[in-house]
Amino acid sequence: MSKILQIFSSRRTWAWPYVVFLVLFVVLPLIIVGVYALTDINGDFTLRNFAKFFSHSAAIQTFLYSVMIAVINTVICLLIGYPAAYIMAQAEFKTPAVMAMLFILPMWINFLLRTVATVELFNMCGLPLGEGALLFGLCYDYLPFMIYPIYNTLQKMDNSLVEAAQDLGASRWQSFWKVIVPLSMPGVYSGIVMVFMPTVSTFAIAELLTHNNIKLFGSLIQDYITTTDLLNYGAVLSLVLLIIIGLTSFFGDHGGSGEEKGGVV
Amino acid sequence: MRRFLAIGYWLLAVSLSALAQSNVNYSVRVGETKENTVLAEFPESYEGKKVNIRIQTVALTEDRAQTDSLDFVFADEEIEALGTWGEQVFAYTDEGETEWTVWRSKKEPKNRNQAVKVKNGRDSFEQYLQETLGTRANRGWIWWIFAGVIGIGVLIKSILTIRKRRAEKLLSSVEQETLHRMRMGNRRHYISQAYLWILLLVLYAPIALIVIYSFTDSKILGNWTGFSLELYANLFTGHADAGLNSAILNTVIIALIAAVSSTILGTLAAIGIYNMRARHRKAISFLNSVPMINPDIITGISLFLLFVALGVSQGLATVCIAHVVFCTPYVVLSVLPRLSRMNPNTYEAALDLGATPFQALRKVMLPELWPGMLSGFILALTLSVDDFGVTFFTKGSGGLETLSTFIYSDARKGGLTPELRPLFTIILLVMLTALIVINVRSNKKAKKEQKQ
Repeated sequence: MSKILQIFSSRRTWAWPYVVFLVLFVVLPLIIVGVYALTDINGDFTLRNFAKFFSHSAAIQTFLYSVMIAVINTVICLLIGYPAAYIMAQAEFKTPAVMAMLFILPMWINFLLRTVATVELFNMCGLPLGEGALLFGLCYDYLPFMIYPIYNTLQKMDNSLVEAAQDLGASRWQSFWKVIVPLSMPGVYSGIVMVFMPTVSTFAIAELLTHNNIKLFGSLIQDYITTTDLLNYGAVLSLVLLIIIGLTSFFGDHGGSGEEKGGVV
Repeated sequence: MRRFLAIGYWLLAVSLSALAQSNVNYSVRVGETKENTVLAEFPESYEGKKVNIRIQTVALTEDRAQTDSLDFVFADEEIEALGTWGEQVFAYTDEGETEWTVWRSKKEPKNRNQAVKVKNGRDSFEQYLQETLGTRANRGWIWWIFAGVIGIGVLIKSILTIRKRRAEKLLSSVEQETLHRMRMGNRRHYISQAYLWILLLVLYAPIALIVIYSFTDSKILGNWTGFSLELYANLFTGHADAGLNSAILNTVIIALIAAVSSTILGTLAAIGIYNMRARHRKAISFLNSVPMINPDIITGISLFLLFVALGVSQGLATVCIAHVVFCTPYVVLSVLPRLSRMNPNTYEAALDLGATPFQALRKVMLPELWPGMLSGFILALTLSVDDFGVTFFTKGSGGLETLSTFIYSDARKGGLTPELRPLFTIILLVMLTALIVINVRSNKKAKKEQKQ
């Protein structure tokens, strides 16, 4: 008993339960995805699943389409979100806090419910569901994730730099492009990562917004993973998605300062 | 000039609303009851000659997942019966029976009479629509009100401006010049403010829709049947859908279990990580960030495969474990800053003075750490309530539903349980109040700090 006490009096050991937990439920599952991808239904080693992906043109098409949709959505969110964040950060009186709050509030409401509401809005206005609805819904769901990090960096920015640029003769436009935009890049990077990653892996939303007409990669994975016989192939698709996520987060680490990340919560 | 602009606005609003009214389509999804779940949709106006019935089916074969859709032209050709059951879609045409099985379907219709029947074209179909849905009121007035509000606003604004301008004519030309310059500066401000408000208007339009329709007892969203608080009453007296009630209960149970366990686990972990050597700390911080970077679907699938591989039957326990996985990193991150702010020697001092590690933790560390733990706890709670992706893959097939998965299956069936609308409104109000309280408090704090 006293031995146990001694072990736990060193605070270093307090992290052990969590480390064990992480290994069991984070590392091991990811390894198992790889194992499933490399085995067939009987558990024998095979590379057939990978070969199948590269000859499976429908899956590759869906994958490319999803990446394209994610890129378009990220660009739209950036184009709409940057000015909004900029305006909010610029305002000198008390409204910006309330404004920022109003922009963040939808984030805390169940995204499925918001998506269903969007679908109902489209139905009510007599607008057809389809690619347009999909992009609107995605943008609607993920816009706050773009605005918030950019707003954060812009707000923390040292305003005297802008003033200095203007004192040195830069026009408003020049000081915006040469001072403000470069300084806000960390926020932009993390905004891009935070919009792109969930969009590329999204499922459920696409089904609802397009009445099952458009299938994104996430839904495809979902289909295969939940079918017992096709589970191994689903694991391969998940690995493909994991690679994309890994690349994106690498881009985020590389581009962003790292300090700004996770600022959303 | 401004006067013309205002009139132009007014005309635009009115013509837009007129346009919207002429475009009202009878687009409904049939079958709001749970038994007759339908994936059919009516995209064309049914007052016209042609009605397209679209049946969408999803079929998954060994090497391709596909989505088929079929169009029936309904005015001239006769369709004997059209029905759907569970997630299975059946359609009977003159050419004979055609059947599409939707992937993952489990049930078959007990008999064909239970399926929706549409016979002899338009009349009975219309009847059917009216019986099940009630006549859908013309929604044109909504647009008129919308236009009216905008129009009246613009009208008042322009009248005020005209009066102001008249008064300004009495000023000297120099004064008028200064006023003009001020206005140009203000214009930029107004445009940017307008941009924000328009954006907010669009962001909140779907939310407002649900809030508004929570005050009517219509089964279908978009069908106003008079003001009523029945849905709220149903929600609180437990008369809502049984599935919804149990989903709410499950969500609360899971969120509490996940938040409590991740707060304990995460706080201990944060203390441990803080006292580690830099190399170890880095490694564990990286591991800690993995669940945060991983999208829902990857976390969900990897855990799903783990449970499948281990042969664990999935249910409440697996969902709780999964929620702890993605909640704990956030707890760790909210406790760590508190640790770096506190005096590292107090704990050791307590031990030296004869306290057991547990006593030292309770009496010395917890009082310092609890704000971080609390924010971690709240964060974990909201993350857990909000989660869909991870829950979806780890809930197993035992019929366990949380609010998110319930909404998902509900929406896939083509309708939203009406009681979800008041629930949503209440959640929105709670969130709004919480955010306002937090905001006011942090504002007060900031002011105090400024004074000091």
